[in-house]
Amino acid sequence: MAQSPTAAASLPKSRLRLSAYGERVAAYTILAAVFAWLVVNFLDNPQQFLSAAVFGISNGALYALIALGYSLVYGIIELINFAHGDLFMLGTLFSGFIITVVFGSKAMSAMGWVAFLVALVLVILFCASINMSIEFLAYRRLRHAPKLAPLITAVGMSFVLQFVGLKWNGSTQKSQPSVLPQGYIDLGGVRIYTSFLIVLAVTIPILGLMTWIVTKTRMGKAMRATAQDQDAARLMGVNVNRIISFTFGIGGALAGVAGLMYEQTVGTTRYDLGLQLGLIAFTAAVLGGIGSLPGAVLGGVLIGLIQGLNEGVRYGAGQRWTQSVVFSILILFMVFKPTGLMGVSMREKV
Amino acid sequence: MAQPNFAVPVPQRPQNVDRTKRSWPIGFAIAAVVIFIFYSFILPYLTPDIRTVVQHWMPLGTINTALIWAMSALGLNIVVGYAGLLDLGYVAFWALGGYAAAWLMSYFVPVSAINILGNAAPGTKTGLHLNILLVLIGAAAFCALFGVIIGAPTLRLRSDYLALVTLGFGEIIPQIFKNGDDFFGHNISNGTQSIGPIDAVEGVTARTTVVAGVAQHTDVGWGDLLAFDHSGRFIMFTLLTALIIFISLRIRQGRLGRAWLAIREDELAASAMGVPLMRAKLAAYAVGAVAGGICGVAYALQLNRMLPDPFTFSVSITLLAMVVLGGMGNVWGVLVGALLIAWFNSTGLPEIGDTVNGTFGTNIDFPSYSFLIFGGTLVIMMLFRREGLLPERRTRLVLHEGAAGDTQAEEPDEELVDQAGAVK
Amino acid sequence: MTETQTAVPEAEAPAPAALSAENITVTFGGLVAVNDVSFTVPDQSIVSLIGPNGAGKTTFFNALTGLYQPDRGGRVVLNGLDVTGMSPNRIASLGLARTFQNIRLFNLMTAEENVKVAMHSHLKSGVFGTVLGLPWQRREEREAHEVALELLDFVGIGKTAYEYARNLSYGDQRRLEVARALALKPRVVLLDEPTAGMNPRESAAFVEFVHRVRDERKVSVLLIEHDMSVVMRVSERITVLDRGEKIAEGTAEEVRTNPRVVEAYLGSSAGDNHITIADEEGE
Ligand SMILES: Nc1ncnc2c1ncn2[C@@H]1O[C@H](COP(=O)(O)OP(=O)(O)O)[C@@H](O)[C@H]1O
Ligand SMILES: [Mg+2]
Repeated sequence: MAQSPTAAASLPKSRLRLSAYGERVAAYTILAAVFAWLVVNFLDNPQQFLSAAVFGISNGALYALIALGYSLVYGIIELINFAHGDLFMLGTLFSGFIITVVFGSKAMSAMGWVAFLVALVLVILFCASINMSIEFLAYRRLRHAPKLAPLITAVGMSFVLQFVGLKWNGSTQKSQPSVLPQGYIDLGGVRIYTSFLIVLAVTIPILGLMTWIVTKTRMGKAMRATAQDQDAARLMGVNVNRIISFTFGIGGALAGVAGLMYEQTVGTTRYDLGLQLGLIAFTAAVLGGIGSLPGAVLGGVLIGLIQGLNEGVRYGAGQRWTQSVVFSILILFMVFKPTGLMGVSMREKV
Repeated sequence: MAQPNFAVPVPQRPQNVDRTKRSWPIGFAIAAVVIFIFYSFILPYLTPDIRTVVQHWMPLGTINTALIWAMSALGLNIVVGYAGLLDLGYVAFWALGGYAAAWLMSYFVPVSAINILGNAAPGTKTGLHLNILLVLIGAAAFCALFGVIIGAPTLRLRSDYLALVTLGFGEIIPQIFKNGDDFFGHNISNGTQSIGPIDAVEGVTARTTVVAGVAQHTDVGWGDLLAFDHSGRFIMFTLLTALIIFISLRIRQGRLGRAWLAIREDELAASAMGVPLMRAKLAAYAVGAVAGGICGVAYALQLNRMLPDPFTFSVSITLLAMVVLGGMGNVWGVLVGALLIAWFNSTGLPEIGDTVNGTFGTNIDFPSYSFLIFGGTLVIMMLFRREGLLPERRTRLVLHEGAAGDTQAEEPDEELVDQAGAVK
Repeated sequence: MTETQTAVPEAEAPAPAALSAENITVTFGGLVAVNDVSFTVPDQSIVSLIGPNGAGKTTFFNALTGLYQPDRGGRVVLNGLDVTGMSPNRIASLGLARTFQNIRLFNLMTAEENVKVAMHSHLKSGVFGTVLGLPWQRREEREAHEVALELLDFVGIGKTAYEYARNLSYGDQRRLEVARALALKPRVVLLDEPTAGMNPRESAAFVEFVHRVRDERKVSVLLIEHDMSVVMRVSERITVLDRGEKIAEGTAEEVRTNPRVVEAYLGSSAGDNHITIADEEGE
């Protein structure tokens, strides 16, 4: 790696701009290729394509819920909360526990919706309190530490939560009962599963509620103030600790909702579910622009769509490559557009 | 000039560098020789009781495995400890190094056998069969190349994004090997079927003749290392580990090592002082990856085959735990951390479990606690002893600065402030 | 070793510009921090950039050194070479060194190592040479070591060579920043508020020091400075920024009497000769 002493005169004048140009070309090429791939698959078998897309969007709604948790926390303390996916995994386990153990066989009958609603409330409380405890016990102490420290702590927390999942659920896939109506509606050969409609019916109001909390309430305004400048917010009388705690609470609640919905629609879970889905959801957050809430939702839906299509259409790479596809998207975005689709860039102050 | 001018610098021993004694190779060699002699010439002649205890708690195979982990941890230390780049996908290099070995010294590559100072088993008709030294160099170069490929797109990223991109590569590369029986129509890895056996390497063999359970004599020789020839592998792995330690220490003292530390300390200031960030970071990835590649080769030799399953995210995390436990940036700390955790992981935990279960009649599955132990290690170390067990001098200084800063910066606490109403 | 303020050694004829900036504009979102500023630093001169807090001085430095990209149309020429758009490390190694307003040393490295880091672009040793410990590599290291000690002596902190940067006193840290900048063998050194936190006696000594830097190291010095006594004594030319605009340029005397400058500083407290604008946050 020897670097010769600078030969001043013979430098390319603006390497930077050239590479920026090359990047743009590369980005458009990739976009064009993706678009072509979509068109080819659609023409090949429109029904299959649409079914896969619907399935993907339904997953995407879940990713959006998880992605929001990442995005909220990142937005406020610039921490990638690695443990978030595992919190979601615990949410699936906890929901399954409530529905099987607490309601048992009754869950299948008319009690189904009751069980669902009770589980919804409890899982929200459960995940929110875990997330807040983690923040309180660990991240809070590291707020002024070098950035690597909280990040490594989060990775460690992720493993601790996986351990809990492992002990709770064993090391194999466990399937759990669904209390929701099964079946699908056939729209000209395109299957729309009931569960998809229910996911939307739960997710959309929750997203609306989130938006309302963040934009309209006092708590939300304090959150945004803290996100922009902690010290300034503190000077303005914001209790920063409390706001951060609240943010973790909301993020946890969303992970809990996602956990219940996942448990109800997919029905199987395992201790390492959080790692896989968490990373997918994080990719969604990055895709949308981390820190941006609408971005997280958009990213979630897009990633779900991409995954659904990849696994469901003729020229897709298939499930065994899903992870690679998602990570490639993550890498491409981080490289070409680190601010994501809806994020804003910042310049480091010198 | 008002300031005093000190014409002659006060001669002072630089405390800057971890003053590792020049003689570390001697100490290292002595330790290795003692272990070798113990396992080859002493252990077989001890009473069966003692032999059983040692075989259970500290078999030579476990030491070899621990050395393999140590090689990777030392490589990761260059990236994380020296340059401050959090790499969560280091497992990729381990896998790449291992598969490089599998390609270069087995029947696998579909050409009629090419033997370059290699050691193909008689009757092998296909494949490349390179000498182990060439394989090591090849794997190191291959991994360095991939270090650059993986590093290049991440260079401009913020530190936390970088962690994720490396994590992404760390997942993609093993997945490619896992699905590698059909990688764009080519078989590059036999998929989950594994590539094996790998050509035996030649090395020192120490074989004890046992008659009726009693050891008669030990013959030291030179020959193909078979599955149970741990002594020969031990020598080889010790040398490789020493090589990586040597590289780590040397490079730390030079221009590049300084540049890495500067980047770790303040990237922006480093660039304003003429340190080419991209080059220096790429170099960190490349040098770190070399260690990963060497480790991969050692792993393939140890296993005698190469399969994709072991290369999971948790390997990367375990490596990170080793670096963190030992003390980021401190070669010796990382070595100790790696050996300790690796031993614990492969032998210590199950044995402790057996002992506890045997003693108390319990039935606890101790190895399943490894998640808790590694996760907990990371969390606890970060919270209470960020410098690691054996901190590098320079890290120790700032360690608790964070904690002090905390108390100053926090607000007096709750109510008052909150009732006043947050933001208008 | 006493220089008078205005004496330019050697060249009487207009020296070729060591550094020139043309039409530099830097915007942050809607905020125009630096607006179309042009500016030259003659060879081996001492020039100052002054202006109220928030005037855009530091931002201008950042644009010169490549940490920020100037907006379209701006150009930075160093030694006759257009360095616009180059990476900061490239620009630094081509001879534009700087210090930071809020000290940015490598805290966990010693003073000597801090200085050696800045020699990076002048050293050649690579991975293999370093690992193998080749003779010329060792010689290079030894020489770098000596140069570093010499530079530390030059700024007056030779005694602290093996202290960690973070353990140095505030004043010594500022000196170390200068030593580190000089290790780049620059043509131009940018000093961002180097006397901040110094007492009047130290500030007075600093005037001498800047001359010494210029004369012994053969560099041009571009200074951002709030202490008017220092500015007036040391600068051959002064440029005044206000709200991102260049509002005046000239000798100390010309600037001092310029009505726009007086206006820009109006309302500021002039205690201790420090010019500060108290209520910038008000808007
Ligand atoms: N990274 C940044 N992002 C947004 N605004 C900035 C940034 N850096 C500086 N500014 C703004 O630009 C203006 C000029 O700042 P600066 O150059 O630091 O002034 P000076 O050094 O003259 O005191 C100020 O209003 C400051 O708030
Ligand atoms: Mg400034």
